[in-house]
Amino acid sequence: MTDLYTETKQETFIRRFWALVTLVVLIGVGWFVYQNATTENAHFPFKLGLDLAGGSHLVYEADVSKVAPNEIADLMDVLRDVIERRINVFGVSEPIVQVEESSFVSEVKQHRLVVELPGVTDVAAAVAEIGKTPLLEFKLIDDEALLKQETTANRLASTSTNEVSSASIVATTSGKLANSPFIDTGLTGRYLTSAALEFAGGNGGQLANEPIVSIVFNTEGAELFERITREHTSERLAIFLDGEMISAPNINEPIIGGKAVISGGFTPEEARSLAQNLNFGALPVPITLVSTQTIDATLGASVIEKSVLAGAVGLLVISLFMIGWYRVPGIIASIALTLYVIINCAIFMLIPVTLTAAGLAGFVLSLGMAVDANVLVFERLKEEFRSGKGSRAAAHEGFKRAWSAIRDGNVTSLLSAIVLFWFGTSLIKGFALVLGIGIIISMVSALMLTRVFLLSLPDVKKSDGGIWPFLFGTGLKK
Amino acid sequence: MFIIRNRTLFLWLAVAIVVTASVIVGVFSLKSGIDFTGGSLIEISYTSVPEKAVVESALAPLGLGTPRIRRSDTNTTNGYLITVRDLSLEERTTVEAALTSLGEAGTIIRYTSIGPVIGAELRDKAVWAIGAVLLIIIIYVAFAFKGVGKPISSWVYGFMTVAVLGHDILVPVAAMSLLGYFMGAEVDILFITALLTILGYSVNDTIVIFDRVREKLIQNRTEHKTKIIELGGIERTEVEYTLTKPFDELVGRAVSETMTRSINTSLTVLLALLVLYFLGSAVTETFVLVLIVGVFAGAFSSIFIASPLLVVYALWQAKRQPITPPRK
Repeated sequence: MTDLYTETKQETFIRRFWALVTLVVLIGVGWFVYQNATTENAHFPFKLGLDLAGGSHLVYEADVSKVAPNEIADLMDVLRDVIERRINVFGVSEPIVQVEESSFVSEVKQHRLVVELPGVTDVAAAVAEIGKTPLLEFKLIDDEALLKQETTANRLASTSTNEVSSASIVATTSGKLANSPFIDTGLTGRYLTSAALEFAGGNGGQLANEPIVSIVFNTEGAELFERITREHTSERLAIFLDGEMISAPNINEPIIGGKAVISGGFTPEEARSLAQNLNFGALPVPITLVSTQTIDATLGASVIEKSVLAGAVGLLVISLFMIGWYRVPGIIASIALTLYVIINCAIFMLIPVTLTAAGLAGFVLSLGMAVDANVLVFERLKEEFRSGKGSRAAAHEGFKRAWSAIRDGNVTSLLSAIVLFWFGTSLIKGFALVLGIGIIISMVSALMLTRVFLLSLPDVKKSDGGIWPFLFGTGLKK
Repeated sequence: MFIIRNRTLFLWLAVAIVVTASVIVGVFSLKSGIDFTGGSLIEISYTSVPEKAVVESALAPLGLGTPRIRRSDTNTTNGYLITVRDLSLEERTTVEAALTSLGEAGTIIRYTSIGPVIGAELRDKAVWAIGAVLLIIIIYVAFAFKGVGKPISSWVYGFMTVAVLGHDILVPVAAMSLLGYFMGAEVDILFITALLTILGYSVNDTIVIFDRVREKLIQNRTEHKTKIIELGGIERTEVEYTLTKPFDELVGRAVSETMTRSINTSLTVLLALLVLYFLGSAVTETFVLVLIVGVFAGAFSSIFIASPLLVVYALWQAKRQPITPPRK
């Protein structure tokens, strides 16, 4: 049996040479990790999640009820671009703006926009800034229906002492009413290419020198605008800004060329900021804030400090346990575990993996899991060694026999990490990713690295006597 | 062999644990956090902390329903954790202003607000995720143990693994109910994460033992080949196996041979978790505690429940449907 694994001196030399090369390369990787972690403005720094770096996490829900299903994806992309541009204006480093859908298991289908603002903890200001992005809509007016509503509105207004303008009541409730006087035209701010502040020349029913905002549509928008104005000449086209009607001019003739004017009793300042906001982009669909999360950076700093300490102590305690119980193979496992930490850190930097508080805890946890495969192999090795096999043959057997259990155990862990990744919010995804990568790398470190090092040790037998049986033995027994 | 010989004792112990845990969950019940119900959580830290009553009376006139106020005291933060219903942006500003005006140097260090729809969705997802993991494990184990055949089908190994996982999940859930009742700990997304991690991990120990059982079964069996000539003259060989040793003895040996590794693999993970619990951040304290309970329960169940259950099932099956003697 043992003869199967007897090596010539040359083979042993080659094996040891490669073990040394592996060690040197991984120490080099360790140096890379150390450099990137400690120097400022490094090429590959650790990427910290919001709960560690501090910042805000906002979730908006987009109301796509009035949009054709096949257009939703495009519109959500437009929405993302608009918000992204808006955020870039107030200078956040590395903001994340993502489109998300509610998962297939939930009853309500929702389209969401997730905004992450690292370093921004004044969320009220951030929300206000994002909220400034105007929602511009053009709607046709059904005069008959409007008249009906106006009378009801007037009745309402006369019964209450408040003086409410009928237009604003109608505008805010228009979405919910069955026969709304306002008919969606599909023409919205998404078709806008530019907006500018101008002063009216005094014709077309406008006051002279009244501040107005002139807008230019893109080709698609221009065509739509032309069609609407051609088909509905002599009707009125209302312009809605953020759900409120600001003007309802008559369509006198088909408008070709895609230019329009918004007027509505603006002050010059109002008109200027409206033009600016429209230039940053008008929202294609209305959005509402459904979830907010703000974390102060001080909280994160202490989490990092403590997690690093826990990681270092964890590595030490586990190594001591492995060396105490498994002796020589235990030393090898400790080296492999240290290399496991290095490889993982390098991967976290290179992918990069967003580290969170839970993710860091997961990483420390994975240290304990990573040596599991070592335990399985070494226990088997011990059995074989005790039965009289040489240490090298015993190691070969150990790796071979322990493989099926290691495989099955890791596959189930990996599958649950994948489910976790699907289940989680962005902070939990970090944990799942750390766990998943840890499982894969632990297979590499526990099976490949440990094997390379273990097999380059001298081949000894239990019958050789001396210190060797002790060094390859385990536990409390001699 | 000790465990298999005393299997009735251990299985009754397991039943006792499951019943106790269920009663604890039933009596104290889990406290749902805002992650699942929707609502707002504000954490405020002071250099000089005001009395809880002061905070309560400051919040009372704001019309927030009944806010839940918990003391949060770690070495970096010293203040309160306040849970209220989902707040609008304006309400939030008023609440924060009211809180920071109390005590000395009050700063809001964490604010989370979750809409009810998102909360409900997460709850659905949590149930689905746990279900999916269990299903995947049944299928995977059944697949990995395919060909074990006699005397128990590989699907039984799968269902057995999952039955044991039920225990592994129930115990930390009971622990969480107690934590919720006595310390105000709330079920949040991290708790579900801990449960899913326990599911993925606990199955390892059970698999290690089942793997050894599989190996023992293959080592200790004899093959009987019978040639069957089917219609049309096609020859087919049917292989049947008979165990040369009793099933319970083989399982017993598998358990005792793998005992050290079952304990050691869980021990290394427990070491890492204990270090995390004592040295790690307060943010993940409950999370780590749940994991510790879960890993402990998982180690116990794979040694003391999984294998005895396997033997009991095999004996029950044999009684119900006597194994036909091999054809000569």
